[in-house]
Amino acid sequence: MKGLPSPLSLGRLALLLSPLPLLLAAPIAQAHSASDAYLTLSVDGTDEYTLHGQWDIALRDLDFVLRLDDDGDGELTWGEVKRHQASIERYAYGQLRFKDESGASCAVQPTRQLIDAHADGAYAALFFDVHCAQRSKALAMSYALFFPIDPSHRGIFVMHSAEGTSTAVLSPQHANVVLALK
Amino acid sequence: MGLLLSAGVASAGSAPPAGAVPPPGLPPAVASLPAPYRAPYLPASTGERLQEVTSAADPKVLEMRSLRAKLDIAPRDLDAAIRLANGYIDYSRQIGDAHYAGYAEAVIAPWTRLAAPPASALLTQASILDYRHEFDAARELLQATLRLDSRNAQAWLTLATLDMVQGRYEAARRDCAQVMSTAGLELGSACLGNLLSYTGQARQSLALLRQSEVSRGRAPVGYQAWIEGLIAETAERLGDWPLAEAHYHSALQLLPHDNFLLVAYADFLLDRGRPAEVLPLLADHFQSDTAFLRLALAQAALHSPDAPRYAWMMAARFEALKERGSDYFGREEARFALQLQHDPETSLGLAQRNWQFQRAPWDARVVLEAALAAHQPRAAAAVATFVEETRLEDPAVQSLLRQVPLPARHAAGESR
Repeated sequence: MKGLPSPLSLGRLALLLSPLPLLLAAPIAQAHSASDAYLTLSVDGTDEYTLHGQWDIALRDLDFVLRLDDDGDGELTWGEVKRHQASIERYAYGQLRFKDESGASCAVQPTRQLIDAHADGAYAALFFDVHCAQRSKALAMSYALFFPIDPSHRGIFVMHSAEGTSTAVLSPQHANVVLALK
Repeated sequence: MGLLLSAGVASAGSAPPAGAVPPPGLPPAVASLPAPYRAPYLPASTGERLQEVTSAADPKVLEMRSLRAKLDIAPRDLDAAIRLANGYIDYSRQIGDAHYAGYAEAVIAPWTRLAAPPASALLTQASILDYRHEFDAARELLQATLRLDSRNAQAWLTLATLDMVQGRYEAARRDCAQVMSTAGLELGSACLGNLLSYTGQARQSLALLRQSEVSRGRAPVGYQAWIEGLIAETAERLGDWPLAEAHYHSALQLLPHDNFLLVAYADFLLDRGRPAEVLPLLADHFQSDTAFLRLALAQAALHSPDAPRYAWMMAARFEALKERGSDYFGREEARFALQLQHDPETSLGLAQRNWQFQRAPWDARVVLEAALAAHQPRAAAAVATFVEETRLEDPAVQSLLRQVPLPARHAAGESR
């Protein structure tokens, strides 16, 4: 390589270069949308101690963790997603906890799983109900989806109750929220 | 996305909220684009294709998986973690998808959380922040890296690029000198060549970059493509369109799927009035927001019946970014507001805010375009002064500047 002072530098250059052109291109290349999931809870219209939930999680994100693309062709079909529904539920519901005022855990009961189309791709839409053994005016929710593998993940949270609608952005720094049911 | 969400649990699929109203006469969904407002559904057949994901056949994906496996075996191995994290960042840039930057952050988190993180972890974290346009935080980490390891060429190079994108050309010149002294003449020249393309010395820039091109034979493909891309951009600055196009082609031959190069070439085609060529170029890159904007612009320029759908989708993506609290798309959003939403006032606000963080030629351009469209030429005064002072050669910027009747501009002109 012309212009390089010594073979030693060439070696260093090669070492240096593996991540390099990309770093250089960086500021002009812009970043792109990161991982979001959408969690919506609604207080039941008649029984205010029951919550109904819908949790939209990007299939792309689930594929990274659970390898949903069985045939490895770079395309997820409904058949592949369907085959993995149980593991999707196991993984997701392991990252979402509710506790009542006494500190007891509430049960999260999955009801069904559909597909939801978002502007950046297809999401698994997980529907569930939350039931607590004791009637509680407030619940503590803790959300940890993807945080251990992707701290830039955000849970876009919306809560509908008789009081109105409130929203929050859930992040590793803001993973716990208290939900007022009444 | 947020628009879909707001429909709520009980009423999923009902009317979208205010502000998300699609343009009238929205055509039916084309197969390649998800349908807005569609309620959560059960696909009709198991063969229905839902989502593109990274393919196991992609050598890059295999390499990342193998690096991940190595780290799993030795989770305290910093070098293995850095290699994997850099692999993720690299891939994130290439496909235009921030997810992998997040994965990289998690991989090095055990070291960045330490009271005294090692230089390599600081540097990798700096690249992640840089990628997310968190420039101030990235700069701090680069400076911390250099305090620990003052001859870290990668840190100097990243700092040089950061200084260039923020228009701090004097600082960038010093950084490039450090690159030269730590990494050698070749890389130092490329750094300087890049810098000169912003400071009224595009001819010299071209000469330096062409030297790097001549000697690039044994360099990695990514490096060669980077040099080709820089030559293409510098040729654009000189208004030499055939030269620019030839080098975009060379760069894309080397890295056909690189998001940065594809987007830069798409902008070139849009500027040359060739929007039809943008559609096949970016057909496989819907996932990248920057690529998607160029597709939406091309559809609009072609007066395609799909144009409103693309614009709607783009709006939904910006909305989703806003929901998560990200605003690093100022340049893109300003273009979107002006050209697809025909809202010069909003565009100007976005472009001016973006100018506080980024000062590349395109950042100047979006301010000038919005200021002219909004009939507020004075709002572009800071940009005009900056261009005068730095002597940026860029036909698009210069042609816009000539339409801006600025007192400052006249004063500067008279003093020569």
